[in-house]
Amino acid sequence: MSKKTPAQEAGSQATKRRLGVVVVEPLSVVRAALCRLIEDDPGLEVLLAVGEGAAALDAIARVRRTRVVVLVSLGLDGEHDGPWLIRSIRERYPAYTLLAVGANADPTSISRALFMGADGFVDKSVEPAAFLDAIGYVVERDMVLAGPTVDTVGLIADGLERRRDLHAQLTRREQEVLMVAAEGLTARQIAQRLGVRERTVTTHLGRIYGKLGVGSRLAAVRIAARAGLVSVGTPE
Amino acid sequence: MLSSHPVLQGVVRLAAEATEGIERIVLCDDAADAAAHLVKEPTCIVVIELDGGSVDPVRQVRAAGADARIIVLSNRIDGRQVLDAMRLGADAFLPNPDGLRNFDETLARVVSGERVFPPALEAEAVLQVGRLARQARDRSDVAPSITPRELEILALLAEGLTTRQIARGLDISPRTVENHVAKLYRKLEVGSRLQAVARAATLGLIELR
Repeated sequence: MSKKTPAQEAGSQATKRRLGVVVVEPLSVVRAALCRLIEDDPGLEVLLAVGEGAAALDAIARVRRTRVVVLVSLGLDGEHDGPWLIRSIRERYPAYTLLAVGANADPTSISRALFMGADGFVDKSVEPAAFLDAIGYVVERDMVLAGPTVDTVGLIADGLERRRDLHAQLTRREQEVLMVAAEGLTARQIAQRLGVRERTVTTHLGRIYGKLGVGSRLAAVRIAARAGLVSVGTPE
Repeated sequence: MLSSHPVLQGVVRLAAEATEGIERIVLCDDAADAAAHLVKEPTCIVVIELDGGSVDPVRQVRAAGADARIIVLSNRIDGRQVLDAMRLGADAFLPNPDGLRNFDETLARVVSGERVFPPALEAEAVLQVGRLARQARDRSDVAPSITPRELEILALLAEGLTTRQIARGLDISPRTVENHVAKLYRKLEVGSRLQAVARAATLGLIELR
């Protein structure tokens, strides 16, 4: 009689049912392979497999399960990327467990996913058995990081702390201005986007520079990027 | 080696003798002593026994020697402590005294360049990462942000000081202190000093000692 997998442990505590998994992964071959791997685990079953963020959110609305793990690939890009989906699911379905999935993901991307509300992160570079274990563990524990080295865990913590401190230093309005400014817009364009006067934007920017101790927008945006406030490119 | 316990010293000595590449052991009284020694011999392995919550000895040693390998021993399982040690570049973190059982193995791995953190301790550090994520998320919802002055007052409130004591300490009027406190209640969405301190601690704005 073989030992139960973590997923079976997690599942058998509530009912005899398998733990439901939603797979959101844009690369179709990877998505197919993940589904096959997950179905092989006696404690797991795939409820849904989707390749795009907005479509995933729609499809999840039709899931009628209480115990669900959603695997969100950090390879999703565009407006409905990984962090967007993680935050959206967390807001609408707070009971679902969210596991961010990356491929040799960098610490900043992982910090961002955790900040948005992921309950853990697993890297596709781990052994398949460890990947399945992570899905089981994330339902039970407050945080799971499978794959990142000790060095990376330290950097993830650094990123989260920077983010925490940035949120403490800047008001919500200032954060909004900084996030839009990071897109490279002029003060006038920022003002249009936020629906305020140009002079208001330049005042905010001035205050932001002062609080962050910088002298240029580039420096301010760099601090924001290091804190994960803005994303520069996709992790995969 | 920073420790005054003869048993620990004995274990480390035995392990060091069994490990290739290690010439001798130097006993230091404290981190400052070790730091001074590192100036002369930058490629040491430093074994630090932590007694209590602070990782300051690790910080001091790491600041003095970027090339030194640091092995931390601690008698408490504290995720925050392990994570701090990780971030300070500790090369190994072992529970005291269980970690002494295979100390020679740890020593050999550290010598070969590995970072050794037992799974149980790494899991605790990961839980602390989870807490940091929650703090960051909670803080991003607090708007507008807390000013440095308000943070000062929060810290003094956490120590249990009265309005009068805070006013004296910061050299401002009691009325000003009360104004700041009222603003804090609004920002933190609480109704009492106790709640303000509790919420601030949850958000990671202050630390409760």
